[in-house]
Amino acid sequence: MKKVLLAAAAAALSLLIISCGSKKNELHVYNWADYMNPAVIEKFEKEYNCKVVMNYFDSNEALYAKLKAGASGYDILFPTSYMSKLMFEQKMIQPIDHSKLKNLKNIDTKFIQKGLDPEMKYSVPYMMTFTGIAYNTKKVKNFRASWSMFDRADLAGRMTLLNDLREVIGAALKFNGYEYNSIDDKELETAMNTVIKWKKNIAKFDVDEAKRGLSSGEFFLIQVYNGDALQLISENPDLAFATPAEGTTLSQDDFVIPVTAKNTDLAYKFIDFMLNPENSKTNMEFVYYLSPNIPAQKLMSEEFLTDPAINPPKAVLDKSDFLKDLGENNSKYSVTWDKIKSSN
Amino acid sequence: MSLQGLKKRKSEVLISVSPMGWLFIFFVIPTFLVIAMAFRSADPYGGIGEQWTLNTLKDLRNPNYPLIIWRTVWLSIISTAICILTAIPAAYYISRIKKKYQDIILLFIIVPFWINFLIRIFAWKVFLHPEGMFKQLLVTLHISGPDSLLLYRPEAVLVVIVYSYLPFALLPIYASAEKFDFHLMEAAYDLGAGRLQAFIRVFIPGIRQGLLTAIIVVFIPALGSYVIPDIVGGPSAEMIGNKIAQRTFIDRNLPHASALSAILAFAVIIPSALALTRRFFKEKNSGSLGI
Repeated sequence: MKKVLLAAAAAALSLLIISCGSKKNELHVYNWADYMNPAVIEKFEKEYNCKVVMNYFDSNEALYAKLKAGASGYDILFPTSYMSKLMFEQKMIQPIDHSKLKNLKNIDTKFIQKGLDPEMKYSVPYMMTFTGIAYNTKKVKNFRASWSMFDRADLAGRMTLLNDLREVIGAALKFNGYEYNSIDDKELETAMNTVIKWKKNIAKFDVDEAKRGLSSGEFFLIQVYNGDALQLISENPDLAFATPAEGTTLSQDDFVIPVTAKNTDLAYKFIDFMLNPENSKTNMEFVYYLSPNIPAQKLMSEEFLTDPAINPPKAVLDKSDFLKDLGENNSKYSVTWDKIKSSN
Repeated sequence: MSLQGLKKRKSEVLISVSPMGWLFIFFVIPTFLVIAMAFRSADPYGGIGEQWTLNTLKDLRNPNYPLIIWRTVWLSIISTAICILTAIPAAYYISRIKKKYQDIILLFIIVPFWINFLIRIFAWKVFLHPEGMFKQLLVTLHISGPDSLLLYRPEAVLVVIVYSYLPFALLPIYASAEKFDFHLMEAAYDLGAGRLQAFIRVFIPGIRQGLLTAIIVVFIPALGSYVIPDIVGGPSAEMIGNKIAQRTFIDRNLPHASALSAILAFAVIIPSALALTRRFFKEKNSGSLGI
């Protein structure tokens, strides 16, 4: 018995030593939940003999606030491009060294022209996303692809909006025919009154729990990112996704490397690995978002590429806007958000 | 004071140096830093400005705050009251049964703490699920309609706060009930008191210290609730804790978050300071009686 214990202790100790020794070879990734295929991560760990430590955030603002307050130790982050831009301006992330990324040529340069960092100075695009509505086809009668669904009193208590001031106020702005990045006080007030009306019908403002709620039948209709919705649909055929006719937000999530990264080399290897067409394909199949990666897209099925919930039709694209950071005008949104949250 | 008494005094001071130092470094200094930060200017990018300003205090006159503060206060007061009122009879009965059963019951109270707090709150979400068994039961019994919701309302927050903090109320009350000399109750009966009268006029004053501790350990964390309203509260169940989180994480306004935290801290510190000074003077006056 003693021998067994001793052996176990020795094994534990050696494990400890190994894991300590490989500390240098640890990559700390701060990502959105369910946003990368675990199989690809495992493959990367094997190929580079390292350990990837994943942490998750649920809003760009929370990511920014945490880093600004001094959180460090992450090697790669996945902000949405409006946040990448702000982080770069605030000198929180590093410029990207193109010579270290041989797969960078795979990126669809035409697509990123519309974005905020067309030269990939500080960010490398990961996935293109947009916001829409997912709903339970068995429970929601007379569905219309419109933000006005949140007015439906018969669904009261069974709907959720994202816990994200830009997305929610933005949806209301679009519903009233304005721009997503509006800083006009009158327009914001109209949008506010719309959200206050919607608020009476929703159960809560939520990002990740709403998804589980939709699957479990707790919620019937949620505001959600397109890929997340498709992940849910793949598990539950009663669910469907639609892009509101009024238009929506387009965004692109990026790979960025914070200035405090400890393992920059491995971070570059990670990004390069994810840009590899084969790996990008595996990720797309898992997250159901479209990556602006040309050779990877060629590997995808026709069905995937033409799915309007993955690759929105031009009519929707034309009506939608890219989210931008508003600098000082952000406070207009927080004031509006406050009023919404404390209204009755 | 005798020499021995003086020596004893000295060792007491020595022993209390390290906890006092700990409190000073990890409680007093951070509290002052939070208060000081409330007087700094905020920059729109989440930093803390260089100048000192009173603007944040002016912002606190936000017309939306009274409602949230009121909700936080009433939720905390009612949940504390429910916890105390349920804990008193429970503690009374536990302290009256045989010692070995007491231990078993205490174990049952403590065991749920081995499960993570968050998981226990998520369990409430499952329990109150609109398609769940509990809801079905309520519908079958015609207590609730098929469309009424149990989650995402202030009442749900109240229930979960009571659930979370009830053991914290029970344990100190039980501790003083266990030390209570139940012969005093018998004496009260002999002097003609009824059961209820003896309970209220003899037992309750006898466990006063435990009650006070229970009120403090329930009320203060309830005031600062953040996770519970975040998970089971709906859009109209926000508490101050959620507002502080929003100021920090979404609005990038640390001075404002600090000002709100300072208000919360003062809401606790001022009443306790008043109570302490009152007791201090009371003790001074009656010190010769040895009470």
